[in-house]
Amino acid sequence: MKKGLCRLRSAVPSVAWDMAVAVVLLALASLGCWLLLQHTGAENNSALVYVLAVVLIARYTSGYGYAVAAALVAGFCTNYYFMYPYAQFSLELTGYPVAMLSMVAISLVVCTLTAQLKIQAEEAVRREKNTRTLYELSERLGREKTAIQLEKDREAIRSSILRGVSHDLRTPLTGISGAAAVLLEGEGLSERDRSLATDIKNDADALITMVENLLSVTRLQAGDTAIRKEPELLEEVAGDAVMRFRRRFPEARVELILPEEPVSAPMDALLIRQVISNLLENAARHSGAPETIRLTISRQGELAVTEVTDGGRGLTEEVLAAVAQGRDLAASAGGDSSRGMGIGLAVCRNIVLAHGGTMEAENRPGGGAVFRFALPAEEMEASE
Amino acid sequence: MSETVILVVEDEATISNFICRALVSAGYKTLTAPTGREGLTLFFSHRPGLVLLDLGLPDMDGLEVLEQIRSGPEEETAVIILTARDRESEKVKALDMGADDYIVKPFGVAEVLARIRTCLRHAQRLRSAEGERRERYEIGDLILDTASHQVFAAGREVHLTQNEFKILELLCLHPGKVLTYDFIMRRVWGPYSGGGNQILRVNMANIRRKLGENPSEPKYILTELGVGYRLLEES
Repeated sequence: MKKGLCRLRSAVPSVAWDMAVAVVLLALASLGCWLLLQHTGAENNSALVYVLAVVLIARYTSGYGYAVAAALVAGFCTNYYFMYPYAQFSLELTGYPVAMLSMVAISLVVCTLTAQLKIQAEEAVRREKNTRTLYELSERLGREKTAIQLEKDREAIRSSILRGVSHDLRTPLTGISGAAAVLLEGEGLSERDRSLATDIKNDADALITMVENLLSVTRLQAGDTAIRKEPELLEEVAGDAVMRFRRRFPEARVELILPEEPVSAPMDALLIRQVISNLLENAARHSGAPETIRLTISRQGELAVTEVTDGGRGLTEEVLAAVAQGRDLAASAGGDSSRGMGIGLAVCRNIVLAHGGTMEAENRPGGGAVFRFALPAEEMEASE
Repeated sequence: MSETVILVVEDEATISNFICRALVSAGYKTLTAPTGREGLTLFFSHRPGLVLLDLGLPDMDGLEVLEQIRSGPEEETAVIILTARDRESEKVKALDMGADDYIVKPFGVAEVLARIRTCLRHAQRLRSAEGERRERYEIGDLILDTASHQVFAAGREVHLTQNEFKILELLCLHPGKVLTYDFIMRRVWGPYSGGGNQILRVNMANIRRKLGENPSEPKYILTELGVGYRLLEES
């Protein structure tokens, strides 16, 4: 029954519902009074019955309006139908005005109180609902946060393991390379021992480069926040890369060509140095012409462009396609000559992409290869 | 030179081993300490002429060791920091705390020996009070005359702006030593020069162009990436 009423209530517009409630209750009250009148005569309690109806109307309609209207109607009805003289409105008999007014006043006060109670009750219900929603929300957030935290922790553990391994590799490798260097500097080494010590040193140095690449990758994977970009002069980064490169490849020759105006770009200087080092090393190892390397810095519109060219044998279709499509080369490249090239290029591409830049490779018409990467340039301030 | 004692504070045996062998064959005497505490004990008992200090020690922070060395009476002892590559802020901090130089791992023997020579020469100059302001600096073929406000590079006069001249003069005052960006900014543009050092970079790029210098083959000014600049001496 109650359910049915509720369903009906939600189906009917609220104004019509309220009106209906008021009319029905008043009609029931009138019917009750009429029945009472048959039994008790003039001394009936119709006023109290009407007050009850008004209270119920106040309870089951929204706002004061219906109850106030009902109170006035009830006052009129009591007087008109159920008090002597019947079917006639009269305020002349002693006590009638007081009774009328009291009844209306009581009805009004009661319906005001009821309305207030109702508002408070509704408020309480709403608040409870809000609280529950908030609670559920915070519970869900908590669950999601835990999941994110777990994923983050896993990621952090992974990269800290990788970094730890890289660091732990670097220290002994420094020791191996250093010890070999001490051997090479000493006197009285036979030709055979000297060549072996040179191999040890070169391979240790190559492994150190590999570890540097691994470290760069872990730094990238630690998320965007790990890259701290600051405006740097490209020529300073390139100059540093070239100087390091010369130490490792004394037989190679690199020319650094500078633009007239210095070019600056926001970057993590060590990572961009790694890119340039890798490109130079690729040219030295794989071009077949390590004495023809050129590193050119220029500004092209909004871009800071760095180019590594060589006059060697050029790039295979495989390498060109891999760079163009942003594929990793490591798995596809066969042959010993390109050993290490894939990893180096993949690291380069990832670093450049993380800086919002682009990288491309092509063969020069006159022979030899070009690797080019562009970063968004930074406007230079006035120099004074 | 053969009298100079060098204290190597480094926990990795292989590294301190090859450094010491290289130092001995170059004519230095060496002391080694695998921990910060032993390093400090040896430092105060033997008063070495130079300290090679690894920042990643097992028992205490290398910077703390540096602080204790610098708080003692042996202020003029040169300290060279050994540090990992990706720690720019650590290098800058160590330099600010009074380290004379730093070497980044992985490093080679030649690099270590060159840095040690520069540092010792520096320390000697400091003792003979040569590091003070002078009217004329001659470093290689670079001549800087503060009285006439003239600069000559390889016999050719170079016209620098006021700030460019100040930067170069500051570098000449500390030849061979790394000067951090912050240090140069404060000395040239004043303590309220603001956060960025872009203006210093631009000035440096202009100085280089005027000196006819290519950063890949520096004759005068060396870039220390992420840290600062260093005026090269002949070694």
